Amino acid sequence: MPVWHDATKQWATDGKLVLLGVTQEQHPERCRLFAQWKGFGWPILHDPINVLGSAAVPVVLAIDEHGIVRSTRPNPKTFAADFLDKAFADDATNKPVPPTPAHPPKFDDLKAAAEAAKTADAWRRYGDTLALWGGEEKLSAAIAAYRQAVTHDPKDGPAWFRSGVCLRRRSETTAREADDFRAAVAAWGTALDLDPNQYIWRRRIQQYGPRLDKPYPFYDWVPDAEAAVRKRGETPVALPVRPDGSEIAQPAKAFAAVKDAPTNPDPKGKVNRDPGSVTCEVVVVPAVVKPGQSVRVHLTFRVASMKTDHWNNEAEPLRVWVDPPAGVAVHERLIAAERPKAATSTEPRTVGFEVQVPKDAAGTIRVPVYALYHLCDEVGGTCRYVRLYATVEVKVK
Amino acid sequence: MRHSLLAVPAAVLLSQLALGQTPKVGDRHPDFTLPDVAGGKPKTLSDFRGKKVLLVQFASW
Repeated sequence: MPVWHDATKQWATDGKLVLLGVTQEQHPERCRLFAQWKGFGWPILHDPINVLGSAAVPVVLAIDEHGIVRSTRPNPKTFAADFLDKAFADDATNKPVPPTPAHPPKFDDLKAAAEAAKTADAWRRYGDTLALWGGEEKLSAAIAAYRQAVTHDPKDGPAWFRSGVCLRRRSETTAREADDFRAAVAAWGTALDLDPNQYIWRRRIQQYGPRLDKPYPFYDWVPDAEAAVRKRGETPVALPVRPDGSEIAQPAKAFAAVKDAPTNPDPKGKVNRDPGSVTCEVVVVPAVVKPGQSVRVHLTFRVASMKTDHWNNEAEPLRVWVDPPAGVAVHERLIAAERPKAATSTEPRTVGFEVQVPKDAAGTIRVPVYALYHLCDEVGGTCRYVRLYATVEVKVK
Repeated sequence: MRHSLLAVPAAVLLSQLALGQTPKVGDRHPDFTLPDVAGGKPKTLSDFRGKKVLLVQFASW
């Protein structure tokens, strides 16, 4: 992108060319920060559900004054002569159609149309409109619409992918449902099984997946961008969901299993069990692997009642001990969660690690884990150090 | 430098384009309306009719 930004800056300033960006990323703020860092002044549109139907990016199209594509591989060096300085005839063979999805949205009309048509297409169209224009409050309705679409046509890959996008989005809101992230990963996996050549869909899984399956670290550039923007005296675009863990993990060509295992912090299970003050959500990405492959495990710990409990950040951090069965490799055994500087807090705590299943694995591989953490209750002011068990299930097929 | 289009090997780019539903040369590009990442007014491709447009689909990673 910087190549085209630099090459076309003067033409855009002179009004000879409109540079129009589209990004299919899950989080628009991250692309905004990237644009701020690079000094992109042109509009960038957000297509998180990939209504444009692209199979991969980058895609660069030269579109003439009539809306007709004149080049799918423009060359910056010959762009002026090949395209910009030419006048084109309105000679497209296909006719113009109304923009999709329709804006401003007519949710009720689209819902009624979907109920009447009873087709995957109609439900997907309704879902698309809700997903793009409905904001957070319509995410559940969008997910329901996409579920209708895949009920009518279980092979509707775009509906599966888009439902995953909405599920992941909802998982980052206060309207989150317990299974959202896991369901998003499952939906993306189903979509990719239907069309393995869809790289926009594949990247969404890789974003949260293991290092062996990553083409790049995705968001490792964020701290550099923020520092550079601050150095210019500007305020960096705020990121409501900061990338961490798998989203900044460096790709690897070989699985690096932990060699010198640290000491099990509570081998005999002497620390009291948490009676239910904290929940642990377990998500495995991808949802299903082949024998010998690896997965990224996401553990999210949430204080069940923020009214009565909080993390005690003055004590040692939340730690997770991973206890893999024989033949199963993990890249870390003892992992500490990051914590804020404040003495107490109630935010979700995340821990990630990777598991490689044996080459002869089949069925479901279970990896026991437990967490140790310090909690205090608001009412009595008492603090406690407790233990929570969880099981990671890796499906092998 | 994965952000640079020129850094993408031509063979890879060609194979990726061949997989997608990218409009062909000579096609009128299907119209679309999408939100602006900056939160501004949604934009429709056909709003730019009469002007030459370079449409760039990209990701920050």
